[in-house]
Amino acid sequence: MSVTVKTAQQIFDQVLNKEELFILDVRNKDDFKDWKIEGKQIDHFNIPYFELIDGVEEIMDKIPSDKEIIVVCAKEGSSKMVAEMLSEQGLTASYLKGGMKSWSEYLYKTEVYSDDKMKVYQFVRVGKGCLSYMIVSGEEALIVDPSRFTDIYKKAAKDEGVNITHIVDSHLHADHISGGRILAEETGANYYLMKSEGAIFDFKALENYNKIDFEHVSLEVIAVKTPGHTPGSVSFFVNEKVLFSGDTIFVSGLGRPDLGGKVREWAKDLYDTVYNKVSLITDDVIVLPAHYADFEEEVNVAGYIGEILGEIRKQNEMMSNQSESDFVEHVAQSASSETPPNFEEIIAINRGVEEAEEEKQQELEIGPNRCAVHHTN
Amino acid sequence: MNATKILDAKGLACPMPIVKTKKMIEELQSGDILEIHATDKGAKNDLAAWVKSTGHELLESSEDNGLFKFWIKKG
Repeated sequence: MSVTVKTAQQIFDQVLNKEELFILDVRNKDDFKDWKIEGKQIDHFNIPYFELIDGVEEIMDKIPSDKEIIVVCAKEGSSKMVAEMLSEQGLTASYLKGGMKSWSEYLYKTEVYSDDKMKVYQFVRVGKGCLSYMIVSGEEALIVDPSRFTDIYKKAAKDEGVNITHIVDSHLHADHISGGRILAEETGANYYLMKSEGAIFDFKALENYNKIDFEHVSLEVIAVKTPGHTPGSVSFFVNEKVLFSGDTIFVSGLGRPDLGGKVREWAKDLYDTVYNKVSLITDDVIVLPAHYADFEEEVNVAGYIGEILGEIRKQNEMMSNQSESDFVEHVAQSASSETPPNFEEIIAINRGVEEAEEEKQQELEIGPNRCAVHHTN
Repeated sequence: MNATKILDAKGLACPMPIVKTKKMIEELQSGDILEIHATDKGAKNDLAAWVKSTGHELLESSEDNGLFKFWIKKG
């Protein structure tokens, strides 16, 4: 039997098609516990590769013969070795090209919205739960919350025949390294970020903009600009059709407040945003967040992560009719003690305070995002 | 530290550092010490986890400019 290699894209397509897969994950137990390839139709078995060096005979009763078998490890080498061993036992097995590192870096692009003024694409970083966006209008494009894989946005813009002229970050990310600064350098685009987030390089301070206009697009900056402390997250309301909610509102919950160490202050800002700003937005507006927690739970019938505001209001009692104190209490209590892996270093890099080589960036980013507070918890 | 044997696993990627470590340690006697040199960053976590699962003992490890050294006592 032969061993084949599969890319992250091929495996994610299978997840999207809800194909049954058996994933033999040969990383260390801690890594597996931390994060893995998720999917409702996926069965997992985890055993570190170093327990299989003498052969796979002992785990053969754990491996199904009626499902597709994919072996994964951190970088690729071990999964290839184990897949070859399975093949010698007469099974057909494949392994993930580039390992979980490539899974962490894969972005899936899908169209979210289109009318005669603009087109919106969503980029789903499936291994991390991060979302970024491209708004195309006329001959220009605006990118929201870009990941560090700037080639992907440049290619997407090229495919549309447009130039990237504006880049916005809804907040200073704690779970991944922003591509905003690099993408701005590479394209000459304007890069906007809240000044209060503490970045030390050149950018346009969102505090100075109520609106960003280009071609047939008008992007309204929705922020509670409390002087003197980190505002957490800004939202962008575009053409009164689409709300890029950053880390404030998710499809299944609200943003997590604890990273700044000022839980209640942050929760109060979130309350002001939700009750004084978002409350004025109509139910039919599409909410597009910066993160998700569970792809299959949160993906909608159209195939992207997002939901109309009316539906989010219906599903989430915290979105309306709460007193400020109840709201703050709820959000404060749902603050998790689990932080995104390496968040302090990632924040320092996103502020421009620290620099890191690509290999270091890969290492810092690997793992889950843990940015969404789960309302249901 | 007085190593019984030294394994040069520099430049090797996962899974080879551990595959070689395992082979070499099989040739040693209980109580012997194997010194391993590796450049693969993943080797650090993997060796620590592997040692735990096998009953050997990781006596010491060091890192200097991308070169990792480990001393493992055979159980």
